[in-house]
Amino acid sequence: MNWRRFFRRKAADAEQQEELEFYVDVTAEEYVERGMNPQAARAAARRKLGNMTRVREEIYGMNTITFVDDALRTARQTVRLVRTCPGFVLTVVLSLALGIGANTAIFSVVHGVLIQPLPYPHADELVGIYNRLTISGQVYEDAALSPGMYAACRDDCRAFEHMGVWSSGAATVTGSGDAEQVATVTMTHGVLPAFGIPASLGRWFSPGDDSPGGARTAILSNGYWQRRFGADRQILGRTVVIDFVPHQIVGVMPRDFRFVDLSPDVFLAQRLATNRADEFSYNGIGRLKPGVSVAQANEDIARVWRNWARNEGVGTLLEEAAVTPNARPLKSDVVGNAGVALRVLMGALGLLMWLVCANVANLVLVRAQARGQEFAIRTALGAGWGRIAREQLAESLTLGFMGGTLGLGLAYVGVRLLVAGGPANLPRLHEIALGPAVVTFALFCTLGTSLLFGTIAVVGRRVPCRIENTRGATPTRDQLRGQRVLVVGQVAVALVLLVASGLMVRTLLAIQRVNPGFTRPDQIQMIRISLPQVLAREPERVIRLQKDILDKLAAIPGVAAVGFASALPLENNRNGVVVAVEGVTDTTRLPPNRRYRHASPGLFAAQGTRLLAGRDFTWNDVFDQRRLAIVSESMARESWGEPRVAIGKRIRIGRDGPLTEVVGVVEDIHADGLHQPAPATVYARAGVETATNGSTTVRRAVTLAIRSSRAGNPAFLKEVTAAVHAINASVPLADVRTLEDAYRRSMAQTSFTVTLIGIAAAMALALAVVGVYGVLAYAVARRRHEVGIRLALGAQPDAVRALFVRQGLLLASLGGILGLASSATLSRWISPLLYDVTAFDPLTYALSAAALAVGAILASLVPAHRAASVDPMETLRSE
Amino acid sequence: MPRHPSPLKSEMVQGTLDMLILKTLVLGPAHGQTIAHAIERGSEDVLQVEHGSLYPALHRLQNRAWIASFWGTSESNRKARYYRLTPAGKKQLVDQSSRWDQLVRAIGRIMKPAPQHRG
Repeated sequence: MNWRRFFRRKAADAEQQEELEFYVDVTAEEYVERGMNPQAARAAARRKLGNMTRVREEIYGMNTITFVDDALRTARQTVRLVRTCPGFVLTVVLSLALGIGANTAIFSVVHGVLIQPLPYPHADELVGIYNRLTISGQVYEDAALSPGMYAACRDDCRAFEHMGVWSSGAATVTGSGDAEQVATVTMTHGVLPAFGIPASLGRWFSPGDDSPGGARTAILSNGYWQRRFGADRQILGRTVVIDFVPHQIVGVMPRDFRFVDLSPDVFLAQRLATNRADEFSYNGIGRLKPGVSVAQANEDIARVWRNWARNEGVGTLLEEAAVTPNARPLKSDVVGNAGVALRVLMGALGLLMWLVCANVANLVLVRAQARGQEFAIRTALGAGWGRIAREQLAESLTLGFMGGTLGLGLAYVGVRLLVAGGPANLPRLHEIALGPAVVTFALFCTLGTSLLFGTIAVVGRRVPCRIENTRGATPTRDQLRGQRVLVVGQVAVALVLLVASGLMVRTLLAIQRVNPGFTRPDQIQMIRISLPQVLAREPERVIRLQKDILDKLAAIPGVAAVGFASALPLENNRNGVVVAVEGVTDTTRLPPNRRYRHASPGLFAAQGTRLLAGRDFTWNDVFDQRRLAIVSESMARESWGEPRVAIGKRIRIGRDGPLTEVVGVVEDIHADGLHQPAPATVYARAGVETATNGSTTVRRAVTLAIRSSRAGNPAFLKEVTAAVHAINASVPLADVRTLEDAYRRSMAQTSFTVTLIGIAAAMALALAVVGVYGVLAYAVARRRHEVGIRLALGAQPDAVRALFVRQGLLLASLGGILGLASSATLSRWISPLLYDVTAFDPLTYALSAAALAVGAILASLVPAHRAASVDPMETLRSE
Repeated sequence: MPRHPSPLKSEMVQGTLDMLILKTLVLGPAHGQTIAHAIERGSEDVLQVEHGSLYPALHRLQNRAWIASFWGTSESNRKARYYRLTPAGKKQLVDQSSRWDQLVRAIGRIMKPAPQHRG
């Protein structure tokens, strides 16, 4: 390679020509001297030299740098292409950009959420430790650990480098300024070492911190440290009043540290008293020793559980509930069920990409066939097949890269929009970005598609070896076959996407039809308050204060009803308790687990939950400490058949709890989200409870439900705050939102999936229709001549029209059959996302097929009409 | 385009033309036509230089810096491009000649019973 020669090859060529002419002159002179006449001499000299241009070309070739030359030629051709066929280029580049952009955007989500390891060192060694248990046939995969299990595992498990248990919660910080509710994670000392991310300031918790009786300590998150303490580096050793108890700050975690999928403000040490063996409420986390598999860890934990059960005498509990360890990679804990939706979306957009590819291939193919004459001439002039094919591939790559670059831009915008306004409950949302892996994906996407449609274009078109008279020829079956195969495939893929989006839309409609168990969630203001020991020591005082707060709130203008519960719907509180029904439940076995709530009088009125039988609690029930319960409809029907029958019946709440009388039945509430079944629920009366051993307890943290048409309004919230603070100024208000917000949040993932699949399906339908139209329009254009002759010979325009519509319908039906079959196979992937509709819903299949059929007919009508209106005279004249 | 067939044109051993050009230039600078003549005459017209390959060969040798070119004036007082041997070219010629001798001797030993030349 010689750049100097490359740049002066033009001048060199001029010199070469001069030299060759000199040669011809000298040789001619010589021939004249030998007696030839000058003209013949000159001709002979030229003959002797041979093809002068060839010689020059050969020498010119020695001076060029092949790839630079090729690149320059491709660039020139691209400019020419854009100038001469802007419509073609625009269509191809835009479709590619949309396809690649959509795929890259969704891949960046998939990469951020599913593929990328969690942001901890050796994240694949981290496992979440839970139990799998079965109570009366119901299987619980995520049952947490009890303190006894933790202690046993900590002391006896060999599989873990570090392990610990944690729980998330909230706490009140007082001291300087207003009381503030903060998100907390309370953990044993092994948890942070398991994550392996050192504190940026200070230290982790030590074994001394989590033993009862030691000094109270806390670790701050970076965000809270900055917000509350102005990033004061002298923070270590200072005390903060958390839940009215001074805690010493021993550390600050680094800025980007996230706890599984939480961003708590404060980390607290969990001081476990290991005496209550049946309190399964602590999430386990562990770091496996190098080389230990998750399965081995589970075996190890199972061994520890057996020893523990033998030593503690709780063996029957393990057997009754069939408790087995269920440790699994922490990533699956974090990702949860978002994985299914994301895989379905990635698949849908992958199919869409295929459609785009097919359409572009079709366009390129048509263009190549239109240029058949040009290629034939070039072949005749000596261009090899390889050269033409290479040129076509270069053209495809150029178009591909134009589309890919634009697509990457679209993906960038898309990802920004997604992260800003995407479903808030998508895990790891903050980790989504257009990183190198995503750009590489876009690059491969671009290369793959370009090569795919480029190859289809090269293979689909036989390079003609002679100049054909294409003017009068009807295209052979062969020439159109490639296009038809593509279109059938397109129709099939489009139908698959239509069915998928149809199923998702049906799911969304079904969810909207669900009776949630409450009315007008936008008018229900939710506020969580907590009355710690420092504010109200005796349980009786707590329930008095809670009633006072309710009374104050009820007095606010515009408030229709108020009530509270230990948790309102969608608070992600799945607390359950085993409940035995007197005379119904088999007493020899562990009774089934039921959702358990404490409800105040008036709660159901405030929620708009209908009372189906019996009565609501009264404040007399509360203050007289009567043992009463209200059950949900599903619970009543399951236990007694009819809601009315339930009244006056008795249930036993907890394994050894006292018998409680049922006074009312309320309708079911979809408390885990509209798309989740309504759990069978037992509502206990709010207020003081006396256990069988005589100790009294009360729910100190409750969520208020305030029904008002002014819910969510800032002025209203100010009045609410004032009302609560009128009772006690130190009570912080947390999780202030309307029930509607909570529901929208829980639906975000489904709506997100529906929107994206819907867009993909709409694009797919459009692409398939364009595909059918393209093939027919092309067929009509090619057969214009033939059609003209047919018409001239007396064919009816209707018959001609029918000829082409029939063709369109044939293609569509072939694709449709293929598509229905593929949908039936593929839709099982989507079934976990569906609600109240099966993956084989006939209506959806029928409607999708109908939509496609209508599209195909419309797409074939236009070219068919054009064919029927061919003027026979024009055809005959052009002969 | 009709061509006069040259006796050994198509059989000229690969690389031989380069060597012959270098050999010709040992006598002094020359332009393309002189070089072609010298080769033809030197071989008593057995070797016909195809001029279609002479000029590319000259260009190639120049690119390898075995010969250099300059614009001079021809016998007929016209501007012509002359080629001369460079020191690298001289060394190359020595190498190629000895290799050629070896080759000829080797082939000669094999071909001894057969006639050495056609024509």
